[in-house]
Amino acid sequence: MSELTAIHKPEITHTQLVKYAGASGDFNPIHTVVPIGEKAGLDGVIAHGMLIMGMAGEALADWFPRKDLRKFKVRFSKMTRPGEKLTIEGRVTGEIIEEEEKRLTGEVSVKNEAGELKLSGQFEIKI
Amino acid sequence: MESLLKEDVKIKPFRFTIERGKIREFAMAIGDRNPIYYDADIARKEGYRDIPIPPTFPTAIEMWGGLDFETLISLFGLDPLKVLHGGQEYRYMGEVCAGDTITAAPQLISAFEKRNLRFITIGIHYKNKEGFEVLYSESTIIERRGTD
Repeated sequence: MSELTAIHKPEITHTQLVKYAGASGDFNPIHTVVPIGEKAGLDGVIAHGMLIMGMAGEALADWFPRKDLRKFKVRFSKMTRPGEKLTIEGRVTGEIIEEEEKRLTGEVSVKNEAGELKLSGQFEIKI
Repeated sequence: MESLLKEDVKIKPFRFTIERGKIREFAMAIGDRNPIYYDADIARKEGYRDIPIPPTFPTAIEMWGGLDFETLISLFGLDPLKVLHGGQEYRYMGEVCAGDTITAAPQLISAFEKRNLRFITIGIHYKNKEGFEVLYSESTIIERRGTD
């Protein structure tokens, strides 16, 4: 197992959620409209899970060439809110042969400053 | 309450042309600073045909290509206030860059209920204009049901 260099992201803001809604096309109002988030019982808005996965994707393409990424799979565990600061951590876990290709396997996770897990995932990189 | 799920739901195929500006906008929204998403010359120097898509960009292809949040809600009769994203998977088989037009074939993989939660998984096969499958995406959405 070898640890990869952790990536620290700046604080998530409401504006960032609005930007991500527009960029991704996901206009579910629980991400951008505070009264709707409250109505949904979420105590405000929550970040798009895909924004958090996007940050993990940034880390993957920092650690390895983008073109060598073959598989990227995540589970979302906790909601993220504006004001949180996230860190992306990763490690290489082994090697496999898949589709007649030698690949590295690894794990990626995203946590906030309190160490709360937001996302955990696996990836495969062509060697 | 009766399940509103239409098991035989058919999701329409769609086509999407990837533009450099959309990639830049998407990378900026994430705060992804990788220069290959902003500068075609840098991308080419790194061995790409043009600006490549970030790993999670297929979500923008889906949402802007036709399978947006409102469409999903109406297709499956979901309560928009109770829908969460449970998991996401991508497989990358070929390079996808700005300038490419890709065709998406979505299908319902599974739909079931477990302890007041409804799980819906949708898979999408993406082909380039030569008909080669370049990308596969699979997302699971969860609807919290029952009392709140």
